[in-house]
Amino acid sequence: MKRVKQLLLKDRWIVPFLKLQKSGLFWSILLTLMTIIAAAALMFVSGYLISRAAQRPDNILMIYVPIVLTRGFGIARPIFRYAQRLVSHNWVLRFVSQSRRRLYESVASTASNIRGKLQTGKILSLLADDLDQLQNLYLRTLFPLGAGLLLYLIFSIAFGVVDWRFMLWWLFMLTLITIIVPLISFFANRTRVYKQKQLQSQLYTDATDAVLGLQDWILSGRQNDLIAKQGRIMTQLAKTKNAGMRFGWWRDFLIQVLVLVLALTILIWSGFHFAGNQTAVNFIAAFTLAVFPLVDNFISVNQGVSEMSVYEDSIERLNALPVAENKVSKYEKVTHTTISLKNVTFKYDGRSVIDSLDLSIKPGEKIALLGRSGSGKTTLLKLIAGDVKPIAGSIEIGNQPVSLLQDHLSKVIAVLDQQSYLFDTTILNNVRMGNVTATDDQVQAAIEKTGLGPLIDTLPNGYHTQMKEAGARFSGGEQQRFALARVLLQDAPIVILDEPTVSLDPKTENDVLKQIFDVLKDRTVIWVTHHLTGIDNVDQVYFLENGHFVLGDTPEKLRTTSSHFRQLLAMDGLN
Amino acid sequence: MIDKRLFKLKGIFHTLISLIFMTGIQGLAILAQGIFLAKAIVDFWQGKETMSTVINLTFFAVAFLVRQLLVVIKNQHMSSYADETVETYRIQLLKKYTEQGTTIVSEQGTGNAVTTLGVGLDNVKNYFQLLLVKVFDLSIIPWLIFLYIFYIKWEQAVFLLLIFPVIIIFFIILGLAAQSKADAEFLNFKNLNNRFVDALRGLPTLKQLGLAKKYSAEIYQISEDYRKTTMRTLRIAMMSTFALDFFTTLSIAVVAVFLGFDLLNGKMTLLPALTILILAPEYFLPLRNFSDDYHATLNGKNAFTDVLSMIEQPQVENQKILQLSSWHTKNQLSLKNINFSYDNQPVLKNISFETKGYQKIALVGESGSGKSTLLNIISGFLLPNSGQIKIDNQELPHLGQVDWQKNFFYMPQHPYIFHDTLRENIKFYAQQANDDEVNTAVQQAGLTNLIDELPEGLDSIIGESGRQISGGQAQRIALARMLLDDQRKVLFFDEPTAHLDIETEYDLKQTIAPILSKHLVFFATHRLHWLDQMDYVLVMKNGMIVEQGTPKQLLSDEQSQLNQLRYELGGIK
Repeated sequence: MKRVKQLLLKDRWIVPFLKLQKSGLFWSILLTLMTIIAAAALMFVSGYLISRAAQRPDNILMIYVPIVLTRGFGIARPIFRYAQRLVSHNWVLRFVSQSRRRLYESVASTASNIRGKLQTGKILSLLADDLDQLQNLYLRTLFPLGAGLLLYLIFSIAFGVVDWRFMLWWLFMLTLITIIVPLISFFANRTRVYKQKQLQSQLYTDATDAVLGLQDWILSGRQNDLIAKQGRIMTQLAKTKNAGMRFGWWRDFLIQVLVLVLALTILIWSGFHFAGNQTAVNFIAAFTLAVFPLVDNFISVNQGVSEMSVYEDSIERLNALPVAENKVSKYEKVTHTTISLKNVTFKYDGRSVIDSLDLSIKPGEKIALLGRSGSGKTTLLKLIAGDVKPIAGSIEIGNQPVSLLQDHLSKVIAVLDQQSYLFDTTILNNVRMGNVTATDDQVQAAIEKTGLGPLIDTLPNGYHTQMKEAGARFSGGEQQRFALARVLLQDAPIVILDEPTVSLDPKTENDVLKQIFDVLKDRTVIWVTHHLTGIDNVDQVYFLENGHFVLGDTPEKLRTTSSHFRQLLAMDGLN
Repeated sequence: MIDKRLFKLKGIFHTLISLIFMTGIQGLAILAQGIFLAKAIVDFWQGKETMSTVINLTFFAVAFLVRQLLVVIKNQHMSSYADETVETYRIQLLKKYTEQGTTIVSEQGTGNAVTTLGVGLDNVKNYFQLLLVKVFDLSIIPWLIFLYIFYIKWEQAVFLLLIFPVIIIFFIILGLAAQSKADAEFLNFKNLNNRFVDALRGLPTLKQLGLAKKYSAEIYQISEDYRKTTMRTLRIAMMSTFALDFFTTLSIAVVAVFLGFDLLNGKMTLLPALTILILAPEYFLPLRNFSDDYHATLNGKNAFTDVLSMIEQPQVENQKILQLSSWHTKNQLSLKNINFSYDNQPVLKNISFETKGYQKIALVGESGSGKSTLLNIISGFLLPNSGQIKIDNQELPHLGQVDWQKNFFYMPQHPYIFHDTLRENIKFYAQQANDDEVNTAVQQAGLTNLIDELPEGLDSIIGESGRQISGGQAQRIALARMLLDDQRKVLFFDEPTAHLDIETEYDLKQTIAPILSKHLVFFATHRLHWLDQMDYVLVMKNGMIVEQGTPKQLLSDEQSQLNQLRYELGGIK
């Protein structure tokens, strides 16, 4: 209960959109309502029509109006329904467009320059799914509910005009059907939905364990364990799901029973109310038959409301996103590009990741950073790029604090990492993203410089070849070269290389590294590497351990002074 | 309408007979409900409520309840049947996975194999549950109603009968039109969807390039294009439901008007007319229900096909030829003229070598030279196309032998870490191991640091959605698994350290080196520093063994293929 309240109070994704798109919302609900009314009216009018006809009036004109209305409502219902579905889908898709943009802006505002990749991708696709979920919330829950409540109002007023006592009865029954039963059903289902989600994700984890760990299951001879383990969760999930379905079936049954009560009471009421009046008596059939078409809406309101807890997680996740800020800081052009870190400390979870570190990199200097995973390499890069702020100490580029450069960082620092992303557009457009004002000639020159000229010549469409998603058309080495061309074009004085060759085979690695240092000779380079291949390209090598440098000197000096360095060189076959 | 494969299911006929029986009763209840309601209304209309009115109302209520009750019972009946069937499929599917091993996964794709086990089976359940109920509703209920209406007023019945195929024909024609429209827009859809995903996946790069903010307008534009394309398709796609709706409601209106004229002309009385009017919507209801769930059933049908096609995969034969209790110093393995092709491309050509006892063999070569494939042939995950394989004096068609699998341990580049405690992960191959044994293995594998870092030590949950484990740590966990199960005297390593940073690699080498002794070792790598741990080298190039011998012998020859490879990998020209 508390959680639901929290969700509603903090909501920034559901209600604001409802306010934003009022006219579409109005039409969606109105048309839903009209569809139900037309269905009920068809039965109402035809009930009246045949009752009246059975009295055999002298003149056919006496039943002319009901005949026309019967046909009219018969045609109106499908038309309303068709229009309603189009309008509501259009409305929902508009919602998707706007919320996708907002989602993107929100995530973009917190994206980091260094190694956000795996996580960002996963989170984003999760959030994109959440938006799809919300479409269903509107289509399956809010629209039918809105229409149901309006219907409730209209019928109550209509009956109120005829007989206020019967109106009270209707109010009571409709409250039961469209408010009380759905609410009970919502809360009764919540725990189950929660449990079901949990089991479902467990099943997914289990299935992943089964498939990706298949080799281990087989080699260890534990095939039967696997089958039994999967079976436990599967059976539990099936049980929970069945309980949910059974609940739904019996709830629908209950609604049908309530409809039966409504139909019986309306029949008896109208039987007595209209008795004795030659014309009014025809309304008995009309009123009674009109009840049954309402069942559809009653059931969909109930289903929709009980499903609402399915969306809770999605809404919560979306609401937890930060609000994108749009202020842009002032930018003073960086005059020189000396990087200086003074006494920098960074802690994560109470543990020092970077510990009172000093580092100074002159313009044009090239340094290599090595260290085991967890030694703080990535954090150091993040600090330099301003993705995270130090707890103590200062980080400056050209005497300006890095934090002031944030909105203009790409003019100062370029990044080439393991998976620099290539977009699904042409080669020319992809590389041009480094500098959107570059001419075709400039872009082509950059590509030539990275040694891709011969490759481009073999492509039938040359520079206009489509990259395909994530550059899948090209090999790993080629992709990194395209990314390098983009970095070249970006023309930032400082380049961060974050293990750019880690996924390449040794031969390609050699070639790509040679190319990289060749074209970046005038720039400052900070290179995080996991091997010593190509280490002679740098001026300084730093070994990071537990947040500080344990070793740091020129490669030549390290060769003579450090036996550890020599051992590592031997591992790479560089001795 | 009904999948023929359904009739092969166990216990299907029994289940269907009960379903038909219940649907029949339901149909009769619907008739009774209509008839007695009409009678009660007519009583009130005539203004002569009597005892019989009360009886009519009671009968109406009872019929109504019976009908609704049967809806629930039928659903439960089919749901439990579907559960049983799906459980059988699940077991068969997993059995097939474990029989086929990794080949089935690489053929189907990991994602696909995971989906089939989860969502796939779920869809199959829905399919059994929904489809059969709706199909039998549609094949029984309308015709009972039709017969009754025919009995009281045949003209109306004929009208209802004739309109039925018209509705179905329009539904199908418009459905096809929608399909072709959807096909025509398919590329457009895919393109727009991809561009959205593309922008999201490329966000870190956009950020690096300083374009992240500018791209939000692009995102909106893509989404709006997507909306327009969707609406174009929906306008047509919804026509088929519209047609169904249109004809059914219009038919009811037409029936009502005809009844009105007949009444006016005195050709019939109110009771039969009202009965027909009440029954007319019921006549169309099963058709509407069927079409509503039509798409859900299509998904189910596809999932059903996927599951069946996986279960029906042919089995690997002759897996129990080899008799081997445990590998020791006297055992011999020989491969002669082994060939293997993938997609008709030869990957391994004329591979021959022999080994005996506890030898340590390195498989070296550039990436793509075939060393991993050869490792997979020796471990039996891949079956050769031709050649002779012998262990001692036993001729084997392939090495996918149960007794061989019991004797080796395979260390891949990325060992799989299960979503479980660290302890269970380590004990994966040796379930019976006690705490002391686990602790020894932990120490030998160099996992002590990791355990100190973890809040709950050995009982911390790791793996997918648990605590993240680095590449080097995953290798160490696999080593601990290996150490705990010392029955396995054959070890396979597939490039275990190439992706690690050099210091971690150095540390890990200190751990692995002592483990290798007293084992037959196959070690595929391009990290040539491992050669100092090896007794024998197979140098591979383009799917062939171009050179074999001891490392010392080959390294001392300046012209050897091994030295050439060394220069290439070291970047020395």
